[in-house]
Formats: sequence, C-alpha cells, structure tokens
Amino acid sequence: MKKLVKTILAAAASVLIAQGAHAADKKFTVAYIAPSLDIDYWQWVAHGVQQKAKELGMDYVEYTSENSPAKQMDNARVAVTRGVNAVVIGPVSSTSTPPLLSFLAQNKIPVAFAGIGPQPGQTNFTSSVTANNYETGLAQGKYTCELAKERGGKEVGMLSLPQDRENAQKYLKGAKEAFAANGCDLVQILETKGLTINEAVTQANDLLTAHPNVKAIYGMYDQAGSGAAKALATRGLTGKVGVTVADGSPTTIQLLKDGAIQGIFFQEAVGQGIDATQQVYNALTGAKTTQNMALVMPLVKAADIDSDAAKKVIARVFPQ
Amino acid sequence: MNTKVQHMTSKSDNASAPRMPSIFSVYRSELAIAAACVVLLVGVGIFVPAALSSGNFSNILQASAPLVIMSLGVLIVIITGGIDLSVGSIFSLTGMVTALAMANGFDEVTSSLAGLAVGVIFGSINGILITLVGLAPFVVTLITYAVAASLAFIVTNGRSLGVNSPDYWLLNSGEMIPGLPNFVLFCLIFTIVLEFVLRKVTAGRWFYSIGSSPVAAYLLGIPVKRTRFAAYVISGTMASFAGLLTVSYILNAEATAGASLMLQAIAAVVIGGASLSGGTGSAIGAVLGALMITIIQNGVNLIGINSFWQGSVTGLAILVAVLIDRFSHQ
Repeated sequence: MKKLVKTILAAAASVLIAQGAHAADKKFTVAYIAPSLDIDYWQWVAHGVQQKAKELGMDYVEYTSENSPAKQMDNARVAVTRGVNAVVIGPVSSTSTPPLLSFLAQNKIPVAFAGIGPQPGQTNFTSSVTANNYETGLAQGKYTCELAKERGGKEVGMLSLPQDRENAQKYLKGAKEAFAANGCDLVQILETKGLTINEAVTQANDLLTAHPNVKAIYGMYDQAGSGAAKALATRGLTGKVGVTVADGSPTTIQLLKDGAIQGIFFQEAVGQGIDATQQVYNALTGAKTTQNMALVMPLVKAADIDSDAAKKVIARVFPQ
Repeated sequence: MNTKVQHMTSKSDNASAPRMPSIFSVYRSELAIAAACVVLLVGVGIFVPAALSSGNFSNILQASAPLVIMSLGVLIVIITGGIDLSVGSIFSLTGMVTALAMANGFDEVTSSLAGLAVGVIFGSINGILITLVGLAPFVVTLITYAVAASLAFIVTNGRSLGVNSPDYWLLNSGEMIPGLPNFVLFCLIFTIVLEFVLRKVTAGRWFYSIGSSPVAAYLLGIPVKRTRFAAYVISGTMASFAGLLTVSYILNAEATAGASLMLQAIAAVVIGGASLSGGTGSAIGAVLGALMITIIQNGVNLIGINSFWQGSVTGLAILVAVLIDRFSHQ
C-alpha cells in the first residue's frame, strides 16, 4: 500500500514539475484580427505583426472579420478560447470597438490597434498605432497645390476614400485647409466604392471631363494614384497634370519612377504591424507602452526614390 | 425532332400570312432604352456640357466595354431561365491568372489563353453541375463564385499584379480597324454575332425555347442539357474575355476587380428587357442596359453627386426600364 501511495505521489510530483517547466517555456501568442484580407494594406500589416512576433519569439495566429463587426467579435472570442495572450487588431470600424475592448479587458488581454484606431473616448487598450491622417492631408494638400501652380493653374481634384471613414474625413479636413491656405480650389471630390484601379481610371476620366482645367489630382489611396496616372496617360497629359497619392505600393513606386506620379505619401503598413506587436509584447512583459502612436506619412518624390532614407521608409510600407 | 419544330413554325407562318415586322415593332423595348440613354445624357449635359463631348463618349464606351461583354454572356444564361453569379469572380481570377502567367515568363497569347481557360473551366463546372447533377443554377454559381473569388486571392497571395508586357495594351486599345479601338470592335462583333444567332439561327432559338418551357423544349427534341451547358460555358468565357480586356486596359490585375460587375451585368440584362424567368431578351437590349448603367455612373461623377447614390439611381433606372417595357407591350 505504501509503495502504491509513493508511486502515485511520485507520478503527481513529476506531472507538476513537467507543467511548471512547460509554463516557464510557454511562448506568448499574438492574434492579428484583420478587418478583411482582400486589400493589400491589411495583408502588409499582417506581415509586420508576423515578422515582429517571430523576432520576439511569439506565436502568431490570424483571423479576418470580413468587414463584419459581428465576425470581429466572434474572432475575439475564438482567440481568447484558443488562449492567445495579446491581440493586434485592425477594426472593421472605430465604432465597432467598445464591446470588443470590454470583452478583451475582462479577459486581461492587451490590445493594440493598427491602421484604424478605437472610438474616441475609449481608454481600455494598450496602444493605437495609426497614420497621422490630418497632418498627411495637410502636407499632401500643400504639395498637390504646389504641383497645380507649377503647371499654371489652381484647380485640383480629389479621388477620395469613402467619407464615412474617420481617416478619410481627417485626410479631407487637412487637405481642404491646405488648399485654402495655399490658394487652390478643390473643384471635385469623387469617392471610391470598390477601391479598384479600374474604378479610379473611370473616375479620373470623369473628373477631367467635368473640369478640364484641373492641374493636379490628390489620390487618397493607392489605386487612385494608379487610376489617375492611367487616365492621364490615355489623354496624353502625363506630367501636365500632377498626381500625388497616399499609401504607396510597388505599382505606384514604378509610376513615380516613370514620372507619371509626382509624390507618394507612404503609409507604413508593415511598420504599424511591427509597432503594434512591440506594444502588446511590452504590455505582457511589463515594459513601457505608448497609448497613442500617430505615425507620420513621409513624402517621397521621384528624385529621392533610390535614396537610403526612402528605402528605409519603403521597408516599413510593404513586404520586400 | 428539329424538323417538327420547323414544320410547326412554317405551318403557323402560312396560316397567318406574315408580313415583315418593322424594326420599330421588333426592337420596341430597345428603342425605349436607347431613348432613355439619350435623355440621360442630355440631362447630364445640361449640368455639365462636356458630357456631350466626343471625349466623354469615348470614356463611356471604354468604361462600359467589360460590362457589355460580360452582360452578353449573362444574357444567354438568363434567356434559358438560369442565373450566373460566378461571372464577377471569373473576371477577377482571369486577370490574376493572366498577369501571373506573364510574370512567370509566358508570352501574351499563352497567358491570355490561360486566362480564357478560367472561364471555360468554371463555365463547364457550372454547366455540368446544373445539367448533369441537376443542382439549382443559383446554388451552383454561388459556389463557383465563392471558389473563383477565393482562388483569385490564392494564386498571388492576394497581391495585385502589374503587367510589364509592353504590347499587351494593344488587345484593348489597339486598332485592328483604323479609327476603331479594339474594345469597341470586340463589343460590336459580339453583339452582332449574338443578336444574329439568337434571332436567326435555330440553335439560337433553342435558348428561348428552353427558357420559356424546358419541358416543352425537351418534347420538341431540343437538346436541353447541351444547350444549357453551352450557355454557362459561353457566359464564363465572355466573363473571362471581359477580364482580359480590363487587364489589357489598366495593365494591372486585382483580386477584387470584378466584385461589383456581377450584379451590374444582371441589371444590364434586365434593363435590356430580359426576364429573370427566362424566354426573353436580346443582345442589343443587354448592350443598351450596360450603356445605361455606365451613363448613370458617368453622369453621377460628372455632376458631382456623391457616388454612394449610384446604387439608388441605378435601381431607379431599372424600375423605370421595367415599367417602360411593361407598358410598351400593352
């Protein structure tokens, strides 16, 4: 009997020791919840999260919310059930975040936002890593206006993101202020629905038909730049009408090199994923975190595209 | 059995001593839609005179070309009483496959054939599942829509692809006939051929017979399964060709490029006078329907109306077109 008790105790002790050792070896897992993965931008954020997680020795899992707040909430629940330690999220919308944050806070999961921030007034999150859309709108508006004036006019047009998005409203606010301050007239804004180049070509054509005196086009998203460049090339107006674009991709970089686009304001998608992951890791390890990180979107012109500084920026924009 | 159909037709023709119908009675609905297009254009022109410029007409034709070609394919399926929800995804996947093939060193012709094969394969899958397995067209094409949309992301891991081939733009914007861009030429050829086949060729009339009554068509000896199979293959292939034209135009392929086109193509066919219950419709009507949708989008942009209104305006246009069609037949 004594022998049996000893054996059981020994077995129990070894199980406890093994569990302790496992706990000590346990890797953190970070979940990235994307609003959708059908847009390059969110794939690039995912790449940044994955890259940083690997560097920090974290496991990585990925979920996509398919632009549905309900699916987003389901993803958060699945992530918690699965035992993730931290969440990096690009929310479907800022307004969809309060219940999600409450749920993750109850489960003591640090959360960092990447790309789109939480609803204003929310504080129960670790960090929000976004682009500074207002400042970018100001800078891009100023540069677009300069391009128009260099080309002998003051009329500018805009291919915009849907204005129901908070980031689009901030871009527009900054741009309008810059146009007013620098003496340019924003004669038309066309909002995208499909975020495709083909749609942007059609819109740029319509913009130029309705306003033939437009001398520069402000592209608020990457496909807008490609679409505007294509429309201008078809009309033989490449270089005669300036084009600026926000975001940046291999396609628009090539157009910049070809002189079809005059400036790209790079949004650091990969960088946002990297920084957001670093923030949740800091929260898990007790290191210092920063709650609001509004990253500047640096302007790169054709002449600078091969510089070391530009290469450093581009490395944080899309996977190399 | 085919002789039976011809015999019955000729007997009926003799009995009623037919006169040559005028173009106005044959194309009454189409003329009404054409008139509506003109009214829309003039209406926009009042606000923005440049809407009536040759440059803007060229914009409209270019913007409508992929939709026109896709609509012609969808028309055939709808005439047979079916539906094809997969065309938008086939359009996107075709672009991705074509661009990927070129990125891997294949020449333009081989890459384009690979792209076209997407439409043939998916059209065949639709046709087989609908005719041989007996599944509902809505369910089958919903499945292939989802699969093709997914594959469009998988083949390039979701990345959009640029086309670096220097001459590929010629497919869309070159001029095999001087002064006539290829995209217009293709639209004209497809429209004329399809209109002729549907109206004058026996096999073309089979699509209508099947759409009106598949049972009666079967009893008359029409090869119902083969004809319906052909309708889906043609629809898939036309969607692929529309995808190729778009890639040639913008020299870029995107996984979501065709996302909005499927509903627009169905809307164009309905605006053009086809019934979703089958048995009616014409190629010219579908083309005019596609043009009307493009003119609405163009007008909304030119006037500067928020583009989110486009859906409402298009919906209203469909309603007006259906009402015109209804009253023109009374």
